[in-house]
Amino acid sequence: MATLNIMVGHAQGNVPVTILRAEGDIDAATHKILQDKASEVIEAGSTHILLDLGGVNYMGSAGFRAIHAVSNMLSETESSGLTKSRHLKLLNPTDPVARVIKTLGFDVYLDIFQDRDEAVNSF
Amino acid sequence: MSAEQVFDFLVKASLDNLQEIRSYIDRVGARLGVNESALGDLRLAVDEAVTNVILHGYGKLDGIVELHMQSDGDAVVIRIRDRARTFDPSQVSAPQLDTALRNRPLGGMGIFLIRKMMDEAEFLPLPGGGNEIRLVKRGAIQTGI
Repeated sequence: MATLNIMVGHAQGNVPVTILRAEGDIDAATHKILQDKASEVIEAGSTHILLDLGGVNYMGSAGFRAIHAVSNMLSETESSGLTKSRHLKLLNPTDPVARVIKTLGFDVYLDIFQDRDEAVNSF
Repeated sequence: MSAEQVFDFLVKASLDNLQEIRSYIDRVGARLGVNESALGDLRLAVDEAVTNVILHGYGKLDGIVELHMQSDGDAVVIRIRDRARTFDPSQVSAPQLDTALRNRPLGGMGIFLIRKMMDEAEFLPLPGGGNEIRLVKRGAIQTGI
């Protein structure tokens, strides 16, 4: 079975940012690990999440479903227009994951960064 | 590389086996000389197809999934067979990619991804029950000139 570990970190930019670093594969067997960890930090007060995908070699549609759910959890106060999320951003996706992000159009609604500090300060 | 090399894999239909199935694609892909880009597409399409079989075909029932992977010139052909209830992909709505995330329904991306990643994707009912999913990825193998 695939393994997925989610490490939680924090950084201070213009606002406090929770960094979730995913390592492993995100498939239908593991996606809830990500979703549950995000839910946990949101319930604990996190309002801005940077999801670091640098350690994810494989992500299928279940992973995108989880990201979608996290985005919905964070975006309750946002307008429903076609704007990018101010609460969830992505960091350093590997090439195969980045390709699927684009195929599914998630890049239209979620900012993607390669540099951690730039990402933190963008919130 | 000869034109026809066939590799078979039989596995219990369980989400716990998805990684093993992706590893099978990687192993056979390496044997067939599949390029990295095509291998990523095949890994994703097969993972999505088998996930659908497990979650929506078998549901709570036990079952098996058979995979057959072979070369055909510069193409890779993968057949995925199950004994689950008949699946009709035309009943699956396409994801609303031009709609903001918060206004989209969750999920529903698997079949879309399969079709985007493959040159051909056929969903066929098997005589006597079950389904066969036939996936074709062209230009996946560097052939001799």
